[in-house]
Amino acid sequence: MRELHTLFLDAVDEQRLRVASRRGLLSGGAKVAAGGAAAMAFAASPAFTRLVAAQEFESDLDVLNYALTLEHLEFAFYRDGIDQFSAEDFEAGVYDNLTLVRDHEGEHVDTLVSVITDLGGEPVEEAEYDFGYEDADGFLMVAAALENTGVSAYDGAAAAIENVDLLNAAGSIVAVEARHASYLNLTIGEDPFPAAFETPLTPEEVLEIAGPFIVS
Amino acid sequence: MRGITRTNYHESMIETLHAAQRLPLSRRRLLGNSAKFAAGGVAAAAFVTPAALGFRSAMAQEFGGPVDVLNYALTLEHLEATFYRTFNEEFGESDFADAEYGEAVYGRLVNIGEHEQAHVDTLIAVIGDLGGEPVEEAMYDFGVTDVNSYVATAGVLENLGTGAYTGAAQFLIEEDELLTAALTIHGVEARHAAYLNFLNGEVPFPEAFETALTTEEVLAAATPLIVNAMPATGTGSSLD
Repeated sequence: MRELHTLFLDAVDEQRLRVASRRGLLSGGAKVAAGGAAAMAFAASPAFTRLVAAQEFESDLDVLNYALTLEHLEFAFYRDGIDQFSAEDFEAGVYDNLTLVRDHEGEHVDTLVSVITDLGGEPVEEAEYDFGYEDADGFLMVAAALENTGVSAYDGAAAAIENVDLLNAAGSIVAVEARHASYLNLTIGEDPFPAAFETPLTPEEVLEIAGPFIVS
Repeated sequence: MRGITRTNYHESMIETLHAAQRLPLSRRRLLGNSAKFAAGGVAAAAFVTPAALGFRSAMAQEFGGPVDVLNYALTLEHLEATFYRTFNEEFGESDFADAEYGEAVYGRLVNIGEHEQAHVDTLIAVIGDLGGEPVEEAMYDFGVTDVNSYVATAGVLENLGTGAYTGAAQFLIEEDELLTAALTIHGVEARHAAYLNFLNGEVPFPEAFETALTTEEVLAAATPLIVNAMPATGTGSSLD
Protein backbone atom coordinates (compact mmCIF):
# COMPACT_ATOMS: atom_id res chain seq x y z
CA MET A 1 0.00 0.00 0.00
CA ARG A 2 1.29 3.44 -0.86
CA GLU A 3 2.13 6.09 1.64
CA LEU A 4 -0.68 8.24 2.86
CA HIS A 5 0.68 11.48 1.55
CA THR A 6 0.92 10.07 -1.97
CA LEU A 7 -2.71 9.06 -1.78
CA PHE A 8 -3.53 12.43 -0.36
CA LEU A 9 -1.84 14.22 -3.23
CA ASP A 10 -3.64 12.02 -5.76
CA ALA A 11 -6.92 12.85 -4.12
CA VAL A 12 -6.01 16.50 -4.11
CA ASP A 13 -5.20 16.35 -7.83
CA GLU A 14 -8.61 14.95 -8.57
CA GLN A 15 -10.07 17.59 -6.35
CA ARG A 16 -8.27 20.30 -8.25
CA LEU A 17 -9.81 19.19 -11.52
CA ARG A 18 -13.25 19.14 -9.98
CA VAL A 19 -12.86 22.56 -8.43
CA ALA A 20 -11.45 23.96 -11.67
CA SER A 21 -14.40 22.71 -13.69
CA ARG A 22 -16.89 23.95 -11.12
CA ARG A 23 -15.20 27.30 -11.02
CA GLY A 24 -15.57 27.66 -14.77
CA LEU A 25 -19.30 27.52 -14.28
CA LEU A 26 -19.64 29.68 -11.24
CA SER A 27 -18.92 33.29 -10.49
CA GLY A 28 -16.28 34.28 -7.96
CA GLY A 29 -18.84 34.90 -5.27
CA ALA A 30 -19.92 31.30 -5.32
CA LYS A 31 -16.51 29.86 -4.62
CA VAL A 32 -17.31 28.76 -1.13
CA ALA A 33 -20.46 27.04 -2.29
CA ALA A 34 -18.47 25.40 -5.05
CA GLY A 35 -15.98 24.24 -2.47
CA GLY A 36 -18.75 22.63 -0.49
CA ALA A 37 -20.12 20.86 -3.52
CA ALA A 38 -16.63 19.78 -4.48
CA ALA A 39 -16.10 18.40 -1.01
CA MET A 40 -19.04 16.11 -1.49
CA ALA A 41 -17.79 15.07 -4.91
CA PHE A 42 -14.38 14.58 -3.36
CA ALA A 43 -15.79 12.04 -0.96
CA ALA A 44 -16.81 9.84 -3.89
CA SER A 45 -13.56 10.08 -5.87
CA PRO A 46 -11.43 6.96 -6.46
CA ALA A 47 -8.37 8.56 -4.88
CA PHE A 48 -10.40 9.41 -1.83
CA THR A 49 -11.61 5.84 -1.57
CA ARG A 50 -8.02 4.67 -1.57
CA LEU A 51 -7.22 7.25 1.05
CA VAL A 52 -9.96 5.98 3.31
CA ALA A 53 -8.64 2.47 2.82
CA ALA A 54 -5.30 3.77 4.05
CA GLN A 55 -6.86 5.27 7.14
CA GLU A 56 -4.38 3.42 9.28
CA PHE A 57 -1.14 5.33 9.14
CA GLU A 58 1.62 2.95 8.17
CA SER A 59 4.44 4.80 9.86
CA ASP A 60 5.24 7.85 11.90
CA LEU A 61 6.40 9.47 8.66
CA ASP A 62 2.87 9.20 7.32
CA VAL A 63 1.51 10.97 10.37
CA LEU A 64 4.17 13.66 10.13
CA ASN A 65 3.47 14.28 6.47
CA TYR A 66 -0.23 14.43 7.22
CA ALA A 67 0.51 17.07 9.87
CA LEU A 68 2.82 18.88 7.46
CA THR A 69 0.10 18.94 4.80
CA LEU A 70 -2.09 20.89 7.21
CA GLU A 71 0.69 23.11 8.51
CA HIS A 72 1.65 24.06 4.94
CA LEU A 73 -1.93 25.02 4.31
CA GLU A 74 -2.15 27.08 7.50
CA PHE A 75 1.16 28.83 7.02
CA ALA A 76 0.41 29.75 3.41
CA PHE A 77 -2.99 31.04 4.48
CA TYR A 78 -1.53 33.49 6.99
CA ARG A 79 1.60 34.38 5.02
CA ASP A 80 -0.31 35.35 1.90
CA GLY A 81 -3.44 36.63 3.60
CA ILE A 82 -1.97 38.94 6.21
CA ASP A 83 -0.24 40.98 3.52
CA GLN A 84 -3.62 41.81 2.05
CA PHE A 85 -4.78 43.50 5.23
CA SER A 86 -3.55 46.08 7.68
CA ALA A 87 -4.02 46.53 11.41
CA GLU A 88 -6.94 48.92 10.80
CA ASP A 89 -8.94 46.13 9.19
CA PHE A 90 -9.22 44.34 12.52
CA GLU A 91 -10.08 45.10 16.12
CA ALA A 92 -7.21 46.26 18.31
CA GLY A 93 -4.47 43.71 18.79
CA VAL A 94 -5.82 41.19 16.30
CA TYR A 95 -3.41 41.94 13.47
CA ASP A 96 -0.36 41.50 15.71
CA ASN A 97 -1.71 38.23 17.03
CA LEU A 98 -2.34 37.03 13.47
CA THR A 99 1.29 37.66 12.58
CA LEU A 100 2.29 35.68 15.66
CA VAL A 101 0.05 32.80 14.59
CA ARG A 102 1.63 32.96 11.14
CA ASP A 103 5.11 32.74 12.67
CA HIS A 104 4.06 29.74 14.74
CA GLU A 105 2.73 27.91 11.70
CA GLY A 106 5.95 28.69 9.86
CA GLU A 107 7.93 27.17 12.72
CA HIS A 108 5.70 24.10 12.69
CA VAL A 109 6.34 23.69 8.95
CA ASP A 110 10.11 24.10 9.33
CA THR A 111 10.26 21.67 12.23
CA LEU A 112 8.17 19.00 10.52
CA VAL A 113 10.19 19.31 7.31
CA SER A 114 13.46 18.84 9.14
CA VAL A 115 12.18 15.97 11.29
CA ILE A 116 10.76 14.14 8.27
CA THR A 117 14.06 14.66 6.44
CA ASP A 118 16.07 13.47 9.43
CA LEU A 119 13.97 10.31 9.51
CA GLY A 120 14.78 9.66 5.85
CA GLY A 121 11.35 10.62 4.62
CA GLU A 122 10.29 12.98 1.89
CA PRO A 123 8.41 16.02 3.20
CA VAL A 124 5.27 16.90 1.26
CA GLU A 125 5.51 20.25 -0.45
CA GLU A 126 3.33 23.28 -0.15
CA ALA A 127 0.45 23.27 -2.61
CA GLU A 128 -1.56 26.10 -4.11
CA TYR A 129 -4.61 27.10 -2.20
CA ASP A 130 -7.77 29.08 -2.63
CA PHE A 131 -9.37 30.06 0.66
CA GLY A 132 -12.23 32.01 -0.84
CA TYR A 133 -12.32 34.88 1.66
CA GLU A 134 -13.00 38.40 0.43
CA ASP A 135 -12.51 40.61 3.46
CA ALA A 136 -11.00 40.70 6.94
CA ASP A 137 -14.04 39.08 8.55
CA GLY A 138 -13.94 36.29 6.00
CA PHE A 139 -10.23 35.85 6.64
CA LEU A 140 -10.86 35.40 10.37
CA MET A 141 -13.65 32.91 9.69
CA VAL A 142 -11.36 30.76 7.57
CA ALA A 143 -8.56 31.14 10.12
CA ALA A 144 -10.82 29.86 12.89
CA ALA A 145 -12.00 26.97 10.72
CA LEU A 146 -8.43 25.96 9.92
CA GLU A 147 -7.23 26.13 13.52
CA ASN A 148 -10.16 24.20 14.93
CA THR A 149 -9.72 21.59 12.22
CA GLY A 150 -6.00 21.43 12.97
CA VAL A 151 -6.64 20.59 16.61
CA SER A 152 -9.03 17.81 15.65
CA ALA A 153 -6.60 16.47 13.06
CA TYR A 154 -3.74 16.18 15.54
CA ASP A 155 -6.02 14.67 18.16
CA GLY A 156 -7.24 12.11 15.65
CA ALA A 157 -3.77 11.16 14.43
CA ALA A 158 -1.65 11.27 17.59
CA ALA A 159 -2.49 7.73 18.68
CA ALA A 160 -0.89 6.45 15.47
CA ILE A 161 2.51 7.84 16.48
CA GLU A 162 4.86 5.21 17.83
CA ASN A 163 7.95 7.25 18.66
CA VAL A 164 7.78 9.04 22.01
CA ASP A 165 9.78 12.07 20.88
CA LEU A 166 7.50 12.57 17.91
CA LEU A 167 4.44 12.22 20.10
CA ASN A 168 5.84 14.89 22.41
CA ALA A 169 6.45 17.17 19.47
CA ALA A 170 2.92 16.64 18.19
CA GLY A 171 1.57 17.30 21.67
CA SER A 172 3.41 20.57 21.92
CA ILE A 173 2.11 21.65 18.51
CA VAL A 174 -1.51 20.69 19.08
CA ALA A 175 -1.71 22.72 22.28
CA VAL A 176 -0.61 25.79 20.37
CA GLU A 177 -3.15 25.08 17.62
CA ALA A 178 -5.79 24.91 20.35
CA ARG A 179 -4.63 28.25 21.72
CA HIS A 180 -4.91 29.73 18.24
CA ALA A 181 -8.37 28.21 17.80
CA SER A 182 -9.56 29.62 21.11
CA TYR A 183 -8.42 33.12 20.26
CA LEU A 184 -9.71 33.06 16.70
CA ASN A 185 -13.11 31.81 17.84
CA LEU A 186 -13.18 34.81 20.14
CA THR A 187 -12.41 37.19 17.27
CA ILE A 188 -15.38 35.93 15.26
CA GLY A 189 -17.79 35.96 18.18
CA GLU A 190 -17.76 32.21 18.71
CA ASP A 191 -17.27 30.35 21.96
CA PRO A 192 -13.48 29.98 22.44
CA PHE A 193 -13.98 26.57 24.08
CA PRO A 194 -17.24 25.15 22.76
CA ALA A 195 -16.97 21.75 24.44
CA ALA A 196 -15.33 20.11 27.45
CA PHE A 197 -13.48 17.74 25.09
CA GLU A 198 -11.96 18.27 21.66
CA THR A 199 -13.37 16.26 18.77
CA PRO A 200 -10.74 14.03 17.14
CA LEU A 201 -11.22 13.78 13.39
CA THR A 202 -10.08 11.03 11.06
CA PRO A 203 -7.97 11.92 8.02
CA GLU A 204 -10.95 11.60 5.69
CA GLU A 205 -13.02 13.95 7.85
CA VAL A 206 -10.18 16.45 7.85
CA LEU A 207 -9.71 16.16 4.12
CA GLU A 208 -13.37 16.82 3.53
CA ILE A 209 -12.87 20.13 5.32
CA ALA A 210 -9.42 21.04 4.02
CA GLY A 211 -9.66 19.54 0.52
CA PRO A 212 -11.77 22.32 -0.98
CA PHE A 213 -9.08 24.88 -0.10
CA ILE A 214 -6.42 23.04 -2.06
CA VAL A 215 -6.19 24.03 -5.72
CA SER A 216 -3.09 22.13 -6.77
CA MET B 1 13.49 24.61 30.29
CA ARG B 2 15.54 27.71 30.14
CA GLY B 3 15.71 30.78 32.26
CA ILE B 4 15.86 30.43 36.01
CA THR B 5 18.22 27.61 36.79
CA ARG B 6 19.22 26.55 40.26
CA THR B 7 16.19 28.34 41.52
CA ASN B 8 13.64 26.69 43.67
CA TYR B 9 10.72 26.15 41.33
CA HIS B 10 8.30 26.11 44.18
CA GLU B 11 9.39 29.57 45.24
CA SER B 12 9.48 30.97 41.76
CA MET B 13 6.00 29.65 41.04
CA ILE B 14 4.57 31.13 44.21
CA GLU B 15 6.36 34.36 43.48
CA THR B 16 4.94 34.40 40.00
CA LEU B 17 1.49 33.60 41.25
CA HIS B 18 1.57 36.32 43.84
CA ALA B 19 2.98 38.83 41.41
CA ALA B 20 0.16 38.06 39.04
CA GLN B 21 -2.38 38.48 41.80
CA ARG B 22 -0.95 41.78 42.96
CA LEU B 23 -0.67 43.31 39.54
CA PRO B 24 -3.48 45.79 38.98
CA LEU B 25 -5.74 44.95 36.09
CA SER B 26 -4.90 48.07 34.14
CA ARG B 27 -1.25 47.19 34.24
CA ARG B 28 -1.87 43.60 33.25
CA ARG B 29 -3.81 44.81 30.24
CA LEU B 30 -0.94 47.01 29.19
CA LEU B 31 1.78 44.45 29.60
CA GLY B 32 1.29 42.78 26.27
CA ASN B 33 4.14 40.51 25.38
CA SER B 34 6.48 41.29 28.19
CA ALA B 35 5.41 39.37 31.24
CA LYS B 36 4.84 35.70 31.63
CA PHE B 37 2.76 34.37 34.45
CA ALA B 38 2.60 31.00 32.82
CA ALA B 39 4.47 28.19 34.43
CA GLY B 40 5.76 27.24 31.01
CA GLY B 41 8.35 29.95 30.94
CA VAL B 42 9.82 29.11 34.31
CA ALA B 43 12.60 26.63 34.74
CA ALA B 44 12.56 23.98 37.35
CA ALA B 45 15.04 22.27 39.56
CA ALA B 46 13.57 21.70 42.97
CA PHE B 47 11.90 18.56 44.09
CA VAL B 48 8.91 18.93 46.36
CA THR B 49 7.71 15.79 48.07
CA PRO B 50 4.86 14.62 45.91
CA ALA B 51 3.70 12.44 48.78
CA ALA B 52 2.13 15.65 50.00
CA LEU B 53 -0.36 15.18 47.22
CA GLY B 54 -1.12 11.61 48.10
CA PHE B 55 0.21 10.77 44.70
CA ARG B 56 2.64 7.89 44.99
CA SER B 57 3.87 7.47 41.49
CA ALA B 58 4.96 11.02 41.03
CA MET B 59 7.89 10.24 43.27
CA ALA B 60 9.39 8.53 40.31
CA GLN B 61 9.80 10.28 36.99
CA GLU B 62 8.02 7.41 35.35
CA PHE B 63 4.46 6.40 35.97
CA GLY B 64 3.62 2.90 37.11
CA GLY B 65 0.89 2.57 34.52
CA PRO B 66 -2.02 4.30 32.84
CA VAL B 67 -4.00 4.60 36.06
CA ASP B 68 -1.18 6.61 37.60
CA VAL B 69 -1.09 8.95 34.63
CA LEU B 70 -4.83 9.43 34.83
CA ASN B 71 -4.65 10.04 38.58
CA TYR B 72 -1.99 12.65 37.97
CA ALA B 73 -4.38 14.36 35.55
CA LEU B 74 -7.23 13.94 38.03
CA THR B 75 -5.17 15.60 40.77
CA LEU B 76 -4.96 18.73 38.63
CA GLU B 77 -8.54 18.56 37.42
CA HIS B 78 -9.79 18.32 41.01
CA LEU B 79 -7.79 21.41 41.83
CA GLU B 80 -9.15 23.31 38.84
CA ALA B 81 -12.75 22.19 39.30
CA THR B 82 -12.74 23.18 42.96
CA PHE B 83 -11.13 26.48 42.09
CA TYR B 84 -13.85 27.51 39.65
CA ARG B 85 -16.68 26.07 41.72
CA THR B 86 -15.51 28.05 44.74
CA PHE B 87 -14.96 31.39 43.08
CA ASN B 88 -17.85 31.24 40.65
CA GLU B 89 -19.99 30.95 43.78
CA GLU B 90 -18.09 33.63 45.64
CA PHE B 91 -18.21 36.14 42.81
CA GLY B 92 -21.02 37.04 40.48
CA GLU B 93 -21.66 39.00 37.33
CA SER B 94 -21.81 42.28 39.20
CA ASP B 95 -18.34 41.73 40.68
CA PHE B 96 -16.99 41.28 37.18
CA ALA B 97 -18.81 44.36 35.97
CA ASP B 98 -17.38 46.33 38.89
CA ALA B 99 -13.88 45.14 37.96
CA GLU B 100 -14.52 46.34 34.39
CA TYR B 101 -14.53 42.98 32.72
CA GLY B 102 -16.71 42.45 29.67
CA GLU B 103 -20.22 41.05 30.00
CA ALA B 104 -19.31 37.61 28.73
CA VAL B 105 -16.43 36.94 31.11
CA TYR B 106 -18.30 35.53 34.09
CA GLY B 107 -20.29 33.20 31.87
CA ARG B 108 -17.09 31.96 30.27
CA LEU B 109 -15.58 31.21 33.67
CA VAL B 110 -18.73 29.26 34.51
CA ASN B 111 -18.24 27.30 31.27
CA ILE B 112 -14.62 26.61 32.13
CA GLY B 113 -15.71 25.37 35.56
CA GLU B 114 -18.20 23.01 33.90
CA HIS B 115 -15.47 21.70 31.63
CA GLU B 116 -13.16 20.99 34.56
CA GLN B 117 -15.93 19.16 36.38
CA ALA B 118 -16.63 17.12 33.23
CA HIS B 119 -12.93 16.23 33.13
CA VAL B 120 -13.05 15.18 36.79
CA ASP B 121 -16.15 13.05 36.27
CA THR B 122 -14.70 11.40 33.18
CA LEU B 123 -11.33 10.66 34.74
CA ILE B 124 -12.97 9.18 37.85
CA ALA B 125 -15.13 6.95 35.67
CA VAL B 126 -12.24 5.81 33.49
CA ILE B 127 -9.94 5.13 36.44
CA GLY B 128 -12.75 3.15 38.05
CA ASP B 129 -13.31 1.17 34.84
CA LEU B 130 -9.61 0.33 34.79
CA GLY B 131 -9.84 -1.03 38.32
CA GLY B 132 -7.94 1.88 39.81
CA GLU B 133 -8.73 4.07 42.75
CA PRO B 134 -9.35 7.71 41.78
CA VAL B 135 -7.54 10.27 43.92
CA GLU B 136 -9.90 12.40 45.94
CA GLU B 137 -10.42 16.10 45.98
CA ALA B 138 -8.30 17.87 48.57
CA MET B 139 -8.70 21.22 50.28
CA TYR B 140 -6.98 24.14 48.70
CA ASP B 141 -5.89 27.66 49.41
CA PHE B 142 -5.62 29.65 46.21
CA GLY B 143 -4.93 33.02 47.78
CA VAL B 144 -7.68 34.65 45.73
CA THR B 145 -8.96 37.88 47.23
CA ASP B 146 -10.88 39.54 44.43
CA VAL B 147 -12.01 39.13 40.84
CA ASN B 148 -8.66 40.26 39.46
CA SER B 149 -6.69 37.75 41.46
CA TYR B 150 -9.26 35.10 40.54
CA VAL B 151 -8.67 35.70 36.83
CA ALA B 152 -4.90 35.93 37.30
CA THR B 153 -4.78 32.65 39.23
CA ALA B 154 -7.03 30.96 36.68
CA GLY B 155 -4.48 31.90 34.03
CA VAL B 156 -1.67 30.34 36.03
CA LEU B 157 -3.63 27.13 36.61
CA GLU B 158 -4.69 26.69 32.99
CA ASN B 159 -1.20 27.26 31.64
CA LEU B 160 0.11 24.84 34.23
CA GLY B 161 -2.52 22.26 33.26
CA THR B 162 -1.69 22.59 29.58
CA GLY B 163 2.01 22.08 30.28
CA ALA B 164 1.22 19.11 32.50
CA TYR B 165 -0.80 17.28 29.84
CA THR B 166 1.82 18.17 27.22
CA GLY B 167 4.44 16.53 29.41
CA ALA B 168 2.44 13.49 30.49
CA ALA B 169 0.71 12.42 27.27
CA GLN B 170 3.79 10.43 26.26
CA PHE B 171 3.21 8.01 29.14
CA LEU B 172 -0.01 6.90 27.47
CA ILE B 173 1.68 6.07 24.17
CA GLU B 174 0.83 2.39 24.57
CA GLU B 175 -2.82 3.13 25.28
CA ASP B 176 -4.28 4.61 22.11
CA GLU B 177 -7.75 5.31 23.45
CA LEU B 178 -6.53 6.85 26.68
CA LEU B 179 -3.96 8.92 24.82
CA THR B 180 -6.61 10.30 22.50
CA ALA B 181 -8.91 11.00 25.42
CA ALA B 182 -6.15 12.81 27.28
CA LEU B 183 -5.38 14.90 24.21
CA THR B 184 -9.00 15.92 23.85
CA ILE B 185 -8.79 17.32 27.38
CA HIS B 186 -5.36 18.81 26.72
CA GLY B 187 -6.67 20.87 23.80
CA VAL B 188 -9.46 22.31 25.91
CA GLU B 189 -7.05 23.27 28.69
CA ALA B 190 -4.98 25.06 26.06
CA ARG B 191 -8.08 26.89 24.86
CA HIS B 192 -8.82 27.98 28.42
CA ALA B 193 -5.21 29.09 28.88
CA ALA B 194 -5.28 31.19 25.71
CA TYR B 195 -8.51 32.88 26.74
CA LEU B 196 -7.27 33.62 30.25
CA ASN B 197 -3.99 34.96 28.92
CA PHE B 198 -6.06 37.23 26.73
CA LEU B 199 -8.11 38.41 29.74
CA ASN B 200 -4.92 38.99 31.69
CA GLY B 201 -3.43 41.13 28.94
CA GLU B 202 -1.00 38.40 27.99
CA VAL B 203 -0.25 36.91 24.61
CA PRO B 204 -2.73 34.03 24.21
CA PHE B 205 -0.08 31.85 22.56
CA PRO B 206 3.36 32.85 23.82
CA GLU B 207 5.32 30.14 22.00
CA ALA B 208 5.18 28.13 18.79
CA PHE B 209 5.61 24.95 20.82
CA GLU B 210 3.96 24.33 24.16
CA THR B 211 6.42 23.73 26.97
CA ALA B 212 6.08 20.23 28.37
CA LEU B 213 6.24 20.22 32.15
CA THR B 214 7.51 17.30 34.18
CA THR B 215 5.55 15.87 37.07
CA GLU B 216 8.07 17.41 39.47
CA GLU B 217 7.55 20.85 37.99
CA VAL B 218 3.79 20.54 38.06
CA LEU B 219 3.59 19.14 41.55
CA ALA B 220 6.01 21.73 42.85
CA ALA B 221 3.70 24.39 41.49
CA ALA B 222 0.47 22.78 42.65
CA THR B 223 1.51 21.51 46.08
CA PRO B 224 1.61 24.91 47.82
CA LEU B 225 -2.05 25.37 46.90
CA ILE B 226 -3.07 22.18 48.65
CA VAL B 227 -3.66 22.60 52.36
CA ASN B 228 -4.70 19.09 53.26
CA ALA B 229 -3.27 16.78 50.74
CA MET B 230 -4.35 13.52 52.26
CA PRO B 231 -7.86 14.18 53.48
CA ALA B 232 -9.27 11.87 56.10
CA THR B 233 -12.52 10.20 55.21
CA GLY B 234 -15.23 12.74 54.84
CA THR B 235 -12.86 15.65 54.86
CA GLY B 236 -12.41 17.99 52.01
CA SER B 237 -13.96 15.75 49.46
CA SER B 238 -17.25 17.12 48.32
CA LEU B 239 -17.74 15.93 44.78
CA ASP B 240 -20.93 17.39 43.50
